[in-house]
Amino acid sequence: MTVLDRARTFISRRGRQEPVDEKAVAQRFFERLEVGDVEGAMALTTPDGEFQAVALGVKGTIGGEGQELLEELRRALPDVTLQVTRLFAGHEGTAVAEVFVDGTQADDLFGIVNQEKHVDVKTVWLLHVTDGRIDGIRAYWCQNQLYRRLGVKRLDRVTITA
Amino acid sequence: MSATDVVTGFFEAYRNHDTEQMVDLCDLGADFSYVPFEAWGRQRVVRGDGKVCTIGKTVWTTLIDSFPNLSNEVTWITGDDDGNVAVEVVISGTQAKAFGAIGNQGLHYDLPHVFLFHVNEDDRIDDITAYWDTADWNRQLGRIEVD
Repeated sequence: MTVLDRARTFISRRGRQEPVDEKAVAQRFFERLEVGDVEGAMALTTPDGEFQAVALGVKGTIGGEGQELLEELRRALPDVTLQVTRLFAGHEGTAVAEVFVDGTQADDLFGIVNQEKHVDVKTVWLLHVTDGRIDGIRAYWCQNQLYRRLGVKRLDRVTITA
Repeated sequence: MSATDVVTGFFEAYRNHDTEQMVDLCDLGADFSYVPFEAWGRQRVVRGDGKVCTIGKTVWTTLIDSFPNLSNEVTWITGDDDGNVAVEVVISGTQAKAFGAIGNQGLHYDLPHVFLFHVNEDDRIDDITAYWDTADWNRQLGRIEVD
């Protein structure tokens, strides 16, 4: 086992040194989110890990700003599907996931008034995994695409749709 | 040469505005997708999807023409053993000509991007997918209409 490989292992509950499978952790994270189990998704993370939603300018912790954002997403898009369309893990322990987000708005989302419109947006999530837990999240998407689909006409009037 | 080396060379060529070299680093049939590019017409939506040698080169050339000091700074890069590479890169430039619906106001932008690449066994890029936030880009360039 190389030094790099050894660094990507963790001690399991059975006391064994197990390889970290970043892709499996990421896959479980999105599966939990899709069924509305934000708490279950959070259980896969380190709450004080760094969280960033680049398009929203949100920076904070996974257990703080991250959890709030994911709960808002679930509340606003209760029928959301999260289809992981590409998933790989880089050598330094980051799972890179392209996720197709699809749903119907049922509540205000990131300041956008609910008009019950349909959303379909491609996103990218960079999930850094240490010892089998996600301890860093950076998410990218195009907020302009979200605005367009949800009926926002001007960037200076995001909360006004007429 | 590793896949990350190939991609690092791609962004170096981009900084040098060497679109021929950018294309040379890619497979002839390389796929290209700039996800946020969408032009909504009455009948259809035109997207930034196609091939590097057609859509990709045209987009890069047009961007460099509209933003003559276009540059990039790679802030993070990772890859796996299967040729997949992800890059966080800040692309910046000062507008000198209209770009699509974005009229020229001579403004500067710095915009975070994520690029996903696949590099094949011949050390050629055969897939490029990019993400950024067009709302942020528009704001920085003085455009407030969503579409």
